[in-house]
Amino acid sequence: MNKTLLGYVPNESPIYAVHPFVKLFFLLIVSLFPMFVTAPDWNIGLMVVIVIFMWISRVNMSTLKIYVPVAISMGTIIFLSYTVLGGTHPEFELLARVAGINFYWERIRDALVVYFRVLPMIFTMVFFLSTSRERDVIVAMRSIKVPFVITYVFAMSLRSAGMVLEDFQIVRQAEKARGFDPAGKSLPYKIRQYVMYMIPLFALSLRRSEEFTNALVARGYAFTGEISKVKRADYILTHYTYKYFDYIFIAMIGLAFVALLVFRYGFGYFQVDQSWLMNLLREVVS
Amino acid sequence: MTSVIDIKDYTWKYLHTESPALNNIDLSIEEGSFVGIIGPNGAGKTTLAYSMDGLIPGQYNGIKKGTVNVFGKEVESYNKGELQQVVGVVFSDPEAQFTAMTVEDELVFGMENIGLTIQEIRERLEWVTELTGLTDLLLKPPYEISGGQKQRVALAAVLAMKPKLLILDEPTSMLDPVSRKMIFEVLKKLKTDEDSTIVVIEHSLENLIPLADQMILMADGEIILQENTREFFNNSDLLLEKGVYPPGVLYFFHELHRKGLYQGEYPLTVEQGKNLLQQLVK
Amino acid sequence: MTDKKPYIQVIDLDFSYPDGTEALKDINFEVREGEFIALIGQNGSGKTTLSKCLNGLYKPTSGDILVDGLNTKKGSIVQMVKRVGYVFQNPDHQLFNNTCWDEIAYGPRNIELPDEEVKERVEEAIAVVGLPKYTHQEHPFFLSKGLRQRVAIASILALRPKVIIVDEPTTGQDAKQSLEIMNFLRELNQEHGHTIMIITHDMPIVGLYAKRVIAMAQARIMADGLTRDVFTLADVLEKTFLAPPQITQLAQADPTLGFDPGTLTVNEMVDQYLELVQ
Repeated sequence: MNKTLLGYVPNESPIYAVHPFVKLFFLLIVSLFPMFVTAPDWNIGLMVVIVIFMWISRVNMSTLKIYVPVAISMGTIIFLSYTVLGGTHPEFELLARVAGINFYWERIRDALVVYFRVLPMIFTMVFFLSTSRERDVIVAMRSIKVPFVITYVFAMSLRSAGMVLEDFQIVRQAEKARGFDPAGKSLPYKIRQYVMYMIPLFALSLRRSEEFTNALVARGYAFTGEISKVKRADYILTHYTYKYFDYIFIAMIGLAFVALLVFRYGFGYFQVDQSWLMNLLREVVS
Repeated sequence: MTSVIDIKDYTWKYLHTESPALNNIDLSIEEGSFVGIIGPNGAGKTTLAYSMDGLIPGQYNGIKKGTVNVFGKEVESYNKGELQQVVGVVFSDPEAQFTAMTVEDELVFGMENIGLTIQEIRERLEWVTELTGLTDLLLKPPYEISGGQKQRVALAAVLAMKPKLLILDEPTSMLDPVSRKMIFEVLKKLKTDEDSTIVVIEHSLENLIPLADQMILMADGEIILQENTREFFNNSDLLLEKGVYPPGVLYFFHELHRKGLYQGEYPLTVEQGKNLLQQLVK
Repeated sequence: MTDKKPYIQVIDLDFSYPDGTEALKDINFEVREGEFIALIGQNGSGKTTLSKCLNGLYKPTSGDILVDGLNTKKGSIVQMVKRVGYVFQNPDHQLFNNTCWDEIAYGPRNIELPDEEVKERVEEAIAVVGLPKYTHQEHPFFLSKGLRQRVAIASILALRPKVIIVDEPTTGQDAKQSLEIMNFLRELNQEHGHTIMIITHDMPIVGLYAKRVIAMAQARIMADGLTRDVFTLADVLEKTFLAPPQITQLAQADPTLGFDPGTLTVNEMVDQYLELVQ
């Protein structure tokens, strides 16, 4: 099993054969798709395609269950902001009046459009993080010539996050070992618990950051000055080579994007008024 | 024999403390020697180690008096990052010095910093992984390896830069006995195979003294004693007074000496102690 | 000591982490009041996991642990904390408050003791540990490691547990500091009646202070007995990747010389030598 940023993927997954840059390219380009598509059917279709990719990559599908509450609460917030808090327009069609609030078709429609634009973007991000190990992300960034400092800061943040999580576990145990029992207590009591965590985590980070910096300096890393202008060999990239299918994937993603733009602006596809799903919904509620 | 480290009349006071951490230090260390620095906590050992690498005054605020020459030049007169290319430091906390996401990246980081080519990196990587026994761990992330393994990685990462002066600040204090032994095994190999100058600060004397050519005792910011290892331990009473306990075997023979029952050299290992004991009893 | 009913009973204990790693297998032993035990073994052998089971931080995957008759699976956090105290290796992990006084009061306040009693307990703990007056209103972060460790121990003492487990008391300390903390633990044991359990791999310290040793390797107990007896079990020590203190090794180096293979201290060795040579 290999640990990716959002979980574990078995060693035999085909996703490892793909160059990390392709994964990054997929993330960046495909998350743009929903910006040009207002018809929810197409965006839902995109989500399904991404889920299929996840399945092919042998991502543990049960981890997706974690995102269901997130999806629901986000949907509710979007729905409420558009319907309850949204404004009105004289041409809007009133569908219903509940508890003194007007529900207009246009508002509901807009809420659905936005919701199904955001979801695929999130799915693309989840797909990327579930199939990329920390090293992949760094390789991807270096392959597009992101400055070393930035990739290094990113790597260090990941490393620090890991250490903080470990410390967090121990601090929780230490609190329990002093009789701190949040079970069955009030909310303010539980909030106090989280505040208590901060103090030792903060103390530990402070102590470590001094040692961390010393270690970097002692390893010849100069943050500024002549030495920092040294050309780095980027040894890590030697492990990753582009294969023929990497180029095919890049081309396919690029072409798909171009095709999307052509059909959208050239032929007016992907609009919400043409959406058969929306038309179906419209009929149901009228 | 050239002098790798030449410290004269060196005093250092951290900015917010009342008294200096180091007082009038005079120290000279020759190329190729293996020096052990011991003493109670707070004696200034770490401060001295940091001074040899330019971390002091580079990273710390304070008042410096006297001179600290490493490889013939004052540490302050080196350009940023220049001295660190010839001096390597291994710190005591294996967690805090593992800065990359895999063992291999950690080893390669320092080499990239000094601008080596891919070919050179590949060669040194092979050499250093062989030396420190890390071949199976190269692709592992830090959270999958133990503290002892991390410390070996730290040592390997520094060795990969082939420093001419290697300083280790309590490299085994957080390690269990097996990992501790492994670190000293690598140091032993280094001593015999390479000609680097090695300075080790330690509390674990039993592993250190068989390897050290010279020992230094520090207390309260000063160097109290600096001698070749065997002569050094002839002053065991002084060591005890300053709160440093010699390893068990040596201590035993020192006790015999104090009782007037033994006049010879003190053994540095269990093996040597056994031989002496056999001679004495029979 | 041998006739008392055991304070802690560990029966057929198995423990696995959520991801499946087996950390403890088939653990059985008893602890009586007033004992001073060293739990030794390589990193990853299960020592820390075992000690966290003893104070209820981890619940057994199978088997039972009874502390003062109370099963750790059923005991609440508050009940466990009054019986078994745990001092973590790094004091920074367990210092949550702004002043040392509040830090020591944290435990008693958590178990909801009245203010009067909290004050009494804090002062008692401070006295036992010997915390200088200037530290009481100081923030623990700024104290030396030795003092922080004392504050940590005081904050456990304030809960008055019968058993105190200390994780790596001497790591990172110099010789004098190590002896100070160990002498203090011995005082807690001999004068105040606490049962002390230390997790360590500092073998000379084990030889000097611990009457009994439990040696672990690969999630199992390899040996459990008097320190001087366990130190003679060469094959066990090999399995646990430990070696006895140097002085013991010297005594064992040549059996024909007649030294006791369970010699634990330099003084013992010297006494034996004097006898042999006279």
